[in-house]
Amino acid sequence: MSHSMRIHLKVWRQAGPNAPGRFESYTVENANEHMSFLELLDVLNEQLIKEGKEPVEFDHDCREGICGSCGVVVDGVAHGPQPRTAVCQLHMRHYKSGDTITVEPWRAKAFPAIRDLVVDRSAFDRIMAAGGYVSVSTGNAPDANAIPISKVDADLAMDYASCIGCGACVAACPNASASLFTAAKISHLAKLPQGSPERKMRVRNMVEQMRKEGFGDCSNHAECEAVCPKGISISAIALMRREYLKAATS
Amino acid sequence: MLSRLYGSPVLKKVTTGLTGIFLTLFVLVHMTGNLAYFADDTGEAYNAYSHFLTHELGALFYLIEIGLLAIFLLHATIGIQIWLGKRAARPEAYAVYRTAGGASRQSLSSRSMIVTGVLLAVWTVFHLVTFKYGTYYETTLADGTVVRDIARLVDEVFGNPMYAFGYPAMMLLLAVHLRHGVWSALQSLGLVRPTASASTYLVGGLLGLAIGVGFLLLPIAIYFQWA
Amino acid sequence: MASKLDARIPAGPLKDKWDLYKNSIKLVNPANKRKHTVLVVGTGLAGGSAAAALGELGYNVKAFCIQDSARRAHSIAAQGGINAAKNYPNDGDTIWRLFYDTIKGGDYRAREANVYRLAQVANNIIDQCVAQGVPFAREYGGLLDNRSFGGAQVSRTFYARGQTGQQLLLGAYQAMMRQVSAGTVTMFPRTEMLDLVVIDGRARGIITRDLVTGKIERHLGDAVLLATGGYGNVYYLSTNAKNSNVTAAWRCHRRGAYFSNPCFTQIHPTCIPVSGDYQSKLTLMSESLRNDGRVWVPKKPGDTRHPSQIPEGERDYFLERRYPSFGNLVPRDVASRNAKYVCDEGRGVGETQLAVYLDFADSIRRLGRNKIEERYGNLFEMYERITGENPYEVPMRIYPAVHYTMGGLWVDYGLQSTIPGLFVLGEANFSDHGANRLGASALMQGLADGYFVIPYSLGDYLGGTRIEAASTDHDAFEAAETDARQRIGKLLSVKGSRTVTEFHRDLGRIMWDHVGMSRTKDGLEQAVDAIAALRDEFWQNVLVPGEPTTYNKNLEFAGRIADFLELGELMARDALMREESCGGHFREEFQTEDGEAVRNDRDFTFVSAWEFTGDPRTSVLHKETLEFENVKLSTRSYA
Repeated sequence: MSHSMRIHLKVWRQAGPNAPGRFESYTVENANEHMSFLELLDVLNEQLIKEGKEPVEFDHDCREGICGSCGVVVDGVAHGPQPRTAVCQLHMRHYKSGDTITVEPWRAKAFPAIRDLVVDRSAFDRIMAAGGYVSVSTGNAPDANAIPISKVDADLAMDYASCIGCGACVAACPNASASLFTAAKISHLAKLPQGSPERKMRVRNMVEQMRKEGFGDCSNHAECEAVCPKGISISAIALMRREYLKAATS
Repeated sequence: MLSRLYGSPVLKKVTTGLTGIFLTLFVLVHMTGNLAYFADDTGEAYNAYSHFLTHELGALFYLIEIGLLAIFLLHATIGIQIWLGKRAARPEAYAVYRTAGGASRQSLSSRSMIVTGVLLAVWTVFHLVTFKYGTYYETTLADGTVVRDIARLVDEVFGNPMYAFGYPAMMLLLAVHLRHGVWSALQSLGLVRPTASASTYLVGGLLGLAIGVGFLLLPIAIYFQWA
Repeated sequence: MASKLDARIPAGPLKDKWDLYKNSIKLVNPANKRKHTVLVVGTGLAGGSAAAALGELGYNVKAFCIQDSARRAHSIAAQGGINAAKNYPNDGDTIWRLFYDTIKGGDYRAREANVYRLAQVANNIIDQCVAQGVPFAREYGGLLDNRSFGGAQVSRTFYARGQTGQQLLLGAYQAMMRQVSAGTVTMFPRTEMLDLVVIDGRARGIITRDLVTGKIERHLGDAVLLATGGYGNVYYLSTNAKNSNVTAAWRCHRRGAYFSNPCFTQIHPTCIPVSGDYQSKLTLMSESLRNDGRVWVPKKPGDTRHPSQIPEGERDYFLERRYPSFGNLVPRDVASRNAKYVCDEGRGVGETQLAVYLDFADSIRRLGRNKIEERYGNLFEMYERITGENPYEVPMRIYPAVHYTMGGLWVDYGLQSTIPGLFVLGEANFSDHGANRLGASALMQGLADGYFVIPYSLGDYLGGTRIEAASTDHDAFEAAETDARQRIGKLLSVKGSRTVTEFHRDLGRIMWDHVGMSRTKDGLEQAVDAIAALRDEFWQNVLVPGEPTTYNKNLEFAGRIADFLELGELMARDALMREESCGGHFREEFQTEDGEAVRNDRDFTFVSAWEFTGDPRTSVLHKETLEFENVKLSTRSYA
């Protein structure tokens, strides 16, 4: 049976990109253990609108952990306390009535603030545009089975490819580094024969773009792997470095 | 060359790892050499070892010194850059921040690399002033060679409680630095297999601890006159 | 009037139509392509692949999406897979069979020529995606693996774990980002299309709102491609993403594009049930679960005992009972409808009593827990994450949810709507799935339209049309922008007492109760009135907070709900008009004694195409009669 819960929230409010931010405290009286965390924010927002206040803005879309739209820091952890779970699938049963939860946006220079909990992650798109693809124009493809790929490599490629681009890795990294995001794409493509001719250019350009965007350097804290909703391993970062060295030494 | 290195997030990291491993190997050798002090010969073996390094290696010794200095500087300058970059990359800090645990390797050690690193750098200068450029005593080895009596200087220095306890404190910092450093270097060089990540992390930590403890034995033993 | 509905299907034998079409179309010479600006709205599988393919050809493409990145379009959530008649397993698959299964699965309400072309280009899609680096599942020999899916007797589904949609979308997104880098595609993320601009009868531009700054902008182009997905969110609760909406398509409808078969919606049987009023969306679980799970409810209404306390003899395995040969594997619509019936009888389970059990206990006993874990481990994990219950020990609770909409804007063979220069791709059009879509076909259609159809048909249009020079100062732009601004102003100025979500939830309830899995004349008539009344109330009593010049999600949603409130009525009218049961459209008046759907081929073998006349109440119905020259219409039977 579901129990009504009282949840206190300390939420970061910021009117716009250059406006000063601050924490506001709210209480949701009729929370419920089956709710997702975003549904808790929905309920809060309905309450705020009725009170004539402005609702808390946050990005969200699929609410099933795959689109990567949502992402807030919950009590100091990107996406909250449940491992391998995006915040849209964090459920209130992990809390108890009376708890106070602090909610902050992703914080990084490369992710400028937009409003409240919403930030601009377009830096990720620019990193992808720098080389995160295989240059094959439509209609140029050989038969899909023309090149066999070992199942082990295909599975590993899939592990890396499962990145949802949410930015939690950056948010959680003490250095605000985007290494896991960048490395996941490089590693996905490095494991496959497709796109191999351009692999050196890819790793060079993507790493350079990552730097230009103002992300920090990696210090191997591995915090990114711990908060990644898809559990992408930092072995991707190691692979990216090997790829880079191969590119740099030839 | 340097600008290319400093401009690349990956090359910086790889270089930090490589230089870190060299420095780790150096302190490991240094620590092993220090253990010669414990030979029951009133400092004879210790002085002989010191003499071997400074006089019998010839030009190689200076090459090693210059190499070490370069490695040390590279390691330190990149470390400082990474720290500055990290501050620039997150101008506004979180009000609440904690590690998620699990796969995370975040620790007091990993977060304090810049602090332990800078303290160790300052201390290294101090250490060189104290010993390399300290009082020059002479003594004669059993084979008649006149050598610097570094053992005497060591005895003197560590007779002072400031040094006897200050040094071990610094060596604990070194252990803390290496706790994250050894693992991080291996990861940076792509040498950590994903399946062996946890065990590599453990071994790295133990190695750091062993080096730290290996070093701090000497001043403590001298102060309490165990040896 | 009727001439507007010329589907322009090429003459000739079915299997040659597409080649004949390609042989006869106009071309745009390479140097001229960059002079043509193409506006692509939506960057999911259809829009993303179209933008990429057109950019590769050298067109000047502007791509718009409402998400903060093109990579987040809702195509990303598709789990199962993508069909193609590669016949790698050598199990007798052919292009004809893929075509036939799709036509039959759609209950004979789709165009033969479009579906055949879809089946033909499906193979190229797989080739293209593999070449892009999409990590499809492979066998140990290194070749691609296939699995079987509902509605087919062959294994023709390619998949990437349970994340096929994600991987295909990222493939298209990456191809598009390559063009962004090359300078042929310009991306406009966080940008919503508010209106279509029609100049001299041709689609020439769009009005957009920057969702961060609220800035209203005009974009001029030589053609507009709409790839904005389906309208399942009209039901409030659906498996669609929260931002999925009908606004772009509806605005085009209001500007003259006919809307086809709006009542054809698909309800997926295996979703995680609703737990309370705060529920914001529903989560689907792959229907592969029905391979090993048994669906049941208590025999006795209102039985609130724990499932383990209900003895075998007091359980009703209703699908196995009613459909002994297909059992738990009946098609989606049949499974969904039966779940609704048992819940209507008061035999539903769980707190809300709107759920049935999907029980794996027998399979776990027979195959062992390990085998079940191997097959469904990630699904079980997801279920437990959401519900907090362990499905290895307690039966899953499932309930149907709206999942996909087969209807959409009417298009001809070349995907052009009734407004010249407006092309509609993917789920936003009506073209390929008839009254019901088979699993693993949505991804196929989106990519077929974007990679392989539109590059030809758009070229034909641009090559064969004299497009007059125009500018964004044209009166039509002025008028459309003024409309958009006034609408936003009006939404904000009502300052009523009920929130946008409350209206949306109310609309959803009407739609689900009366235009859902099972429809009746009475119910639909009630729905038409109720929706119209709700729409009136909305414009008098909605409460939209905030400013027009900032990020304001409630304002975005308000505009979308306003359009849903018009679409909902059209759906009810369409369902009322269609006096037959077919595919996802089940009219209780038209069923056999056993409760099976009864199609009326004599009177309803047509595509409805509604023309907007200024008010949804007076929309005019046009009909495109479907000619079946190659397949024989037969009755589906799964008993």
